[in-house]
Amino acid sequence: MDVFLQIFFDGLVMGAFYSLIALGYTMVYGIIKLLNFAHGDFYMLGAFIGYALLSFITGDGGLNAGLLGIGAVFIITMIIVGLAGIGVERIAYRPLLTAPRLSILITAIGVSLSLEYASMIGWGASYKVYPIKLSKNGLEIIGAQISFAQIGLIVLSALLMLGLRLFIEKTIYGKAMRAIALDQSACSLMGINVYRIISLTFFIGAFLAAGAGIMSGVYYGTINFMMGFIIGLKAFTAAVLGGIGNITGAMIGGLVLGLVESYGTYYLGGSWKDVLAFGILILFLVFKPTGILGAKEMERM
Amino acid sequence: MRKHSMIALGFVLVLSLFLSACSSKTGSGDNASGDEILVGVLLPVTGNNATDGKDMLNAMKMAVEKINSDGGVLKKKIKLEVADDGCDPQMATTAANKLVSKKVVAIVGGYCSGSTLPASGVFHNANIPMIVAAANSSELPKQGYDTLFLINGLVPDQAQSGADYFKDKGAKNIAIIHDNSAYAKDLADFAKKSVEENGGKTIAFEAINPEEKDFGSLMTKLKSLKPDGTYFTGYYAAGGLMLKQFKQKGVSGSFMVGDGSYSPDIIQIAGSEAANDLLVTATPTANFIPGAEEFVNNYKSKYNLSPGPFSALSYNGMNLLVDALKRADSTDQDKLKKALKETKAFEGIGQVIEFSDKNTLNQSNFHVMKVVGGEFTLEK
Repeated sequence: MDVFLQIFFDGLVMGAFYSLIALGYTMVYGIIKLLNFAHGDFYMLGAFIGYALLSFITGDGGLNAGLLGIGAVFIITMIIVGLAGIGVERIAYRPLLTAPRLSILITAIGVSLSLEYASMIGWGASYKVYPIKLSKNGLEIIGAQISFAQIGLIVLSALLMLGLRLFIEKTIYGKAMRAIALDQSACSLMGINVYRIISLTFFIGAFLAAGAGIMSGVYYGTINFMMGFIIGLKAFTAAVLGGIGNITGAMIGGLVLGLVESYGTYYLGGSWKDVLAFGILILFLVFKPTGILGAKEMERM
Repeated sequence: MRKHSMIALGFVLVLSLFLSACSSKTGSGDNASGDEILVGVLLPVTGNNATDGKDMLNAMKMAVEKINSDGGVLKKKIKLEVADDGCDPQMATTAANKLVSKKVVAIVGGYCSGSTLPASGVFHNANIPMIVAAANSSELPKQGYDTLFLINGLVPDQAQSGADYFKDKGAKNIAIIHDNSAYAKDLADFAKKSVEENGGKTIAFEAINPEEKDFGSLMTKLKSLKPDGTYFTGYYAAGGLMLKQFKQKGVSGSFMVGDGSYSPDIIQIAGSEAANDLLVTATPTANFIPGAEEFVNNYKSKYNLSPGPFSALSYNGMNLLVDALKRADSTDQDKLKKALKETKAFEGIGQVIEFSDKNTLNQSNFHVMKVVGGEFTLEK
């Protein structure tokens, strides 16, 4: 039983990362039907900008990063990357909004490569080690160990997702997003500034991915410029699993994927982890392309 | 367009056949002209692996300088002819043909197995002996060339040194993890074999994706299997993260990595606390070899750098060639081949060279290193 629970926690940690990134995928898809393959790179960008800021306040400035410092870095990083998200949308995607979907999809791949290799030029190709070390202390729950870092990570992701949920449901901007997902041209006729809402969507998606990136850097300890690639694919799988375009679906999809991988590793062996993840993607695409929560004519967002 | 390129291709093929036929004809005979003996060096001195390649070249130049200042060999001076293989099979073939056409007496070098493989064929056709200082794929001796001599230990040797260490420490239940790369998988397969031949048991044989960062569930699995030792055969980036999570989960037994993870980066990634007692199977850099102090000091004062992982081997390779030339008392290739083959207990830095019937080392030069206080030390 303790092992079963332990694997559950392991899967939850992975799932939290997948969910946060899957949200950005699903939101952008919901609004402009674009699979933003550059999305995993916002996660990488978050990790690197967080790294730069943290190195600055812990190393060069001679100050010790307290919890307050880390919190500040966290928020500043997310905002910077959020703005980068807006920039990418403005430069690369907006001119193509009316072009065929394939053009914009290929552009997304180009953006992804540009972000990756720009980071490589800026920060180098080698692995960077995060300047903070987390304590290994934790709790024991029925024989399974969970560290405070893991608890913090799961709680933080849950808060971010809850915040997003409230934003979408309770604010006027959220309402506008949901409306655009339903009918873009009707929205602009109703006086909604569609472009502004699309920018906002990119901001939120990149903002959340950056949060995941910096958490990953702090939790695992190393970052490099290709780190966004594989997790981007996994998050895409999670988004499809939950029903692409559906926000609750992305959260659930991420958690399910994390748990499947975790249990799969234990019972079938580590080499089956990716086979399971992408096997599920294929199964869903073939038999239930709308995902766990998706209906045929669903209300996206 | 297509037709033209086919014609061009055919032309090149015919030309290359013609060239190789020529070279095999000119291959034998006395190749030392004047008062110099030309020795070919095949190394990646440009590209991704240039750091190690240049380092090996530095060590060879050092050896040649010493030999020449001591009066040379067979009353002649040694001169190096460097060809860049760029770790690329095609470049290596061109470079090898260039060396053959320059009529070198012998070759020292070979860093990447992938480029050394085709080059060794070119030298074999030209009957030129080659001493391979670094490349160590088990595919190299499999070719059965009598011109090819390997002075670096092979993958099975490394696996054996790891398995023997576990046996000495009484570790019976071993978990083996690789990252699905050709090299790591190969090493893992041999490690499994060696562990089982030593009377141990492979309780887990797992693969990871080196692009990922979370090995939590795999570590949970290992923990429940209670291994006496875990051997990871992949590279340092995943190795460091795995070691960190291994310690976080409190998995039993010691953690050992292969030479793909033999880099100070693994200590940095895992953190010096988690890296304590980490074991590494590797050919030690010259800094750790007893009796290599003079070599290390000379190297440092000459190049203002610490010698790299293959510098001692390259230095040994060049000296071995000179030793064989002296014993053969000629630069004739057949005599030189025979002399190399008959090498008896040649004392190099950190290794004693003697060849098996496959022209590989009789005595493995792999050691087990241990991290103590954030630094690699020689354990066994």
